[in-house]
Amino acid sequence: MLPFLRRLLRRRTGTVGFLRERLERFHDLVEKNNSVLELIAEAGEMLGGEYVFDIQYLRSLANRTRTSCQGVVDDLNLITNGRYPRLHDIVSRLSAEIDAIVEGRIVATQAEYVLPLDHLDETMVDTVGSKMARLGGIRRHLDVQVPRGFAVSTYACQVFLSENGIIDEVETAFASAGPHDAEALEERSRRLQKRVLSAKLPRPITKAIERAIKHLVRTTGCRTLAVRSSALGEDGELSFAGQFYTKLGVAPREVLEAYREVIASMYSAPVMAYRQSRGIHPARGLMAVGCLCMVPARSGGVMYTLDPVRPGEGSLKVTVVRGLGKPVVDGSTEADRFTLARSDPHTVIERRLAHQPEMLALSPSGTVEVVSVAEQSASTSAVSDLELEHLAAVGLSIERYMKCAVDIEWAIADDSSLNILQARPLRISKEPRLGQKPAGVVDRYPTIMKDKGEVACSGVACGPVVIVDDSEPLDVPNGSVLVAHASTPHLSTAVPHASAVITDVGTTTSHLATIAREYRVPTIVDAGNAREVLAGVDVVTVDADSNVVYRGQIDELLHRHLMRSSTFEDTNEFRMLRRILRRVAPLNLRDPHSRDFTAEGCSTYHDVIRFAHEKAVQELAEGDWLEPSHNARCVYRLDLALPLDLVLVDLGGGLSADCTGRKRVDEASICSIPLKALIEGLTTEGVWETDPISMDPNAFMASATRAAPWINTPASRPQNNLAIISDQYVNLNLHLGFHFNIVDCFIGESRNDSYIYFRFAGGVTELRRRERRAVLLGKILESYDFVVETRGDMVTARIKKIPHEAMLTRLQMIGRLIGFTRQLDIVLSAEETVNVYLERFLKGRFGSFGPPSGGQDNGRTA
Amino acid sequence: MSNDVDVMVLDDESMVCERLRDPLVEKGYRVETFTDSQSALERLAAKHFDVVVTDLKMKGPTGLDLLHHLRTEAPTTQVIIITGYATIESAREAEYGGVYGFVTKPFKIKELMAMVAKAARKAVRARGREPQP
Repeated sequence: MLPFLRRLLRRRTGTVGFLRERLERFHDLVEKNNSVLELIAEAGEMLGGEYVFDIQYLRSLANRTRTSCQGVVDDLNLITNGRYPRLHDIVSRLSAEIDAIVEGRIVATQAEYVLPLDHLDETMVDTVGSKMARLGGIRRHLDVQVPRGFAVSTYACQVFLSENGIIDEVETAFASAGPHDAEALEERSRRLQKRVLSAKLPRPITKAIERAIKHLVRTTGCRTLAVRSSALGEDGELSFAGQFYTKLGVAPREVLEAYREVIASMYSAPVMAYRQSRGIHPARGLMAVGCLCMVPARSGGVMYTLDPVRPGEGSLKVTVVRGLGKPVVDGSTEADRFTLARSDPHTVIERRLAHQPEMLALSPSGTVEVVSVAEQSASTSAVSDLELEHLAAVGLSIERYMKCAVDIEWAIADDSSLNILQARPLRISKEPRLGQKPAGVVDRYPTIMKDKGEVACSGVACGPVVIVDDSEPLDVPNGSVLVAHASTPHLSTAVPHASAVITDVGTTTSHLATIAREYRVPTIVDAGNAREVLAGVDVVTVDADSNVVYRGQIDELLHRHLMRSSTFEDTNEFRMLRRILRRVAPLNLRDPHSRDFTAEGCSTYHDVIRFAHEKAVQELAEGDWLEPSHNARCVYRLDLALPLDLVLVDLGGGLSADCTGRKRVDEASICSIPLKALIEGLTTEGVWETDPISMDPNAFMASATRAAPWINTPASRPQNNLAIISDQYVNLNLHLGFHFNIVDCFIGESRNDSYIYFRFAGGVTELRRRERRAVLLGKILESYDFVVETRGDMVTARIKKIPHEAMLTRLQMIGRLIGFTRQLDIVLSAEETVNVYLERFLKGRFGSFGPPSGGQDNGRTA
Repeated sequence: MSNDVDVMVLDDESMVCERLRDPLVEKGYRVETFTDSQSALERLAAKHFDVVVTDLKMKGPTGLDLLHHLRTEAPTTQVIIITGYATIESAREAEYGGVYGFVTKPFKIKELMAMVAKAARKAVRARGREPQP
């Protein structure tokens, strides 16, 4: 992009030096900004399961994003005379964290010391470890009971270890390379554990934990807690199962001590020896700790949703003891064993009851004690068949949610409620190896769709078809196969509950696709007429690995997928990419008017480039070269009937000669061919709707980052707008309300040199409406032969090598489009409205926006 | 046809082998994976493979070494080379050695599958003409 601007700046010597340098830097900044956006989109697609990438790719991604982001910050600081030095620190911190991830080291995300379980899900693995993140996700997204509680973050662990010098001690103790013998490990283990147990917890951490306990006790009445490890699983946390410490029946006043004990278990000799055997640093690691209310268990145990040894048999395994389930986990006692059918109603296929004369129970004061079991009960089943059936159903819903076979720790409380205490992927025996796809089996099921659309997230899933209307609030049953028209973010809240998603239109780079990958929900987008084809179909199996949808439930395919699911997302590279992207991709700074829109508020690379671009344009548009003292003879303010507040930088021939010496120019002075065409489009009668559009408060409030300034603010609110022009060139940066447009265009003597680049992003409403507007823009631009790329609410369009007249026609159209679509996200309340406004635009019926006839207003747009 | 085709996957990153094994097996190929090129060479000396998918840069014998070995010892074997960004030059060199095709990491599994299918057809045709040692 912008190839012409650089050439132009080099050629024109008349431009004031300091301005020319700033414009060159601005040009660099925009290029690097775009390159980071492209890297984010590319890396997001890598998570979908369609690609093979390796550590080299991750290194390259880390380098490319860092280099571009640093360049953006350098450029901004040059443009603004070093006004944002803090951004350098932020990029350095993020890049150090990303480098550490690529090198296989564990890094804590800066976070609160304590987070309530209700706030957690899988997106927070780095902050609270896999175990607590997953438990939080199950509590939030499934209709399943999980004990109340909170997590002490990995960041708290890092601060605790660091402030006590333990991280340095680890580095010193293991400074020498090569394997360490068992005796040396034992000795270091003793020393490190002792250091942790006697270390002082920093006061802010202590206070945060005590506050959380107090709140928990007050709101739940729980007397004791389970204090559990939740480590960052750098080697697949499966491997560490049972090796870290869990303490049950901990009184509130003893939680801080138990916290230290759990952290100390990171340095136990078996853990360090195991890590060493896997080629991992024996003692580098961080751990979050979960504190959950103890469940007064009548019975408890473990469930595997697939037989790990004979996964093809379609059965669940349940092991049960009376009282707390800990003895099952420890393997320290005889337990009842059940084999259940995976298919509804989960009948008991096999039962082996054990004699259990004793059990572990919670005393009235909440402590854990061994009690005797009455003789007549000791040899009877600790759970009823009905409870087993319910347990199996819950287990399979968790399996669908986690997209793999699971190992679940559970408890049935005295009040007969089922509580899930822990859930983790179940390691399935690798043997026998998967064979050829069961073609014979699959052939028995009708194929409903094949090779339609694109796979946004691979995988295999099954469930009842639920066709959703984009304009309706979503309340769909867990495990449904969601079928929708568009991959709008409207669906995002339902994705974690879905077993699969299919859409008629959409892209693999949409927001929905990103969410689907985050939750590993098999997703096919752009399938054409999925809603029509799947209407009336009951249950389907979605094989997104092969892009086929079958009628009915194909257990063989589902089992195969469960058996192999550990080979994909559990690879180191995949986990690393997820961690890297969490520091790169999320955009938290959206609203330049918000008080949080500051350098300090940037927490990802995306935030940094967004902030830098905004501030660079602001600086160029509001720069003091408009003051007479600077005598910058190429900078002008354009007077227009529209409230554009546009500053022009003329690099030669963009304005008539009589403008020299003036500070303000009008439309008649414009000689720049492309700018003239754009302004003609912008000033077309009717396209510039100046009346503020009434806002649907629901849509508005859904946009959490959008703030009050919009209220009572005309859509025409002037902002920092800038056009760099010459006779044949325009580079327009137009910020209108919450929307950002970039047009870069050169109209050459030869059509081979001519091009238009157009980018649009932003909006005031919730993301789904902004995405609808992106779809509308895309359709309009495509109808004018642009090559269009839509990612979330951002639209990029390119066209080149077309005749002079065709260029002008398109620039005028873009001018009209910019005016027409400024506030369209507000009125695009339903999917159908997109086509209504498409038709209006194409037929030149601009006029005032109201609820469009024919479109679903859904009663939400005033 | 794929039931009669033997495919070797060689990459010192086990992730690549893991990601390619299942889709190839599902297509009906007989698949062996190696993360150590010396072991792969030894296996090639003992068994004929129709298609070899190999990384270019590895510790020990490289993908090019493997290719040169196969050109003399098993001329009907089709070799697909996986390259990274930095190894394009070497890949061009390999082109002269009669490699069937290249894929550059990161790559789509589907694209590699299509290439393997074509290479397998070529190998089977060639095998039909030339008796194996």
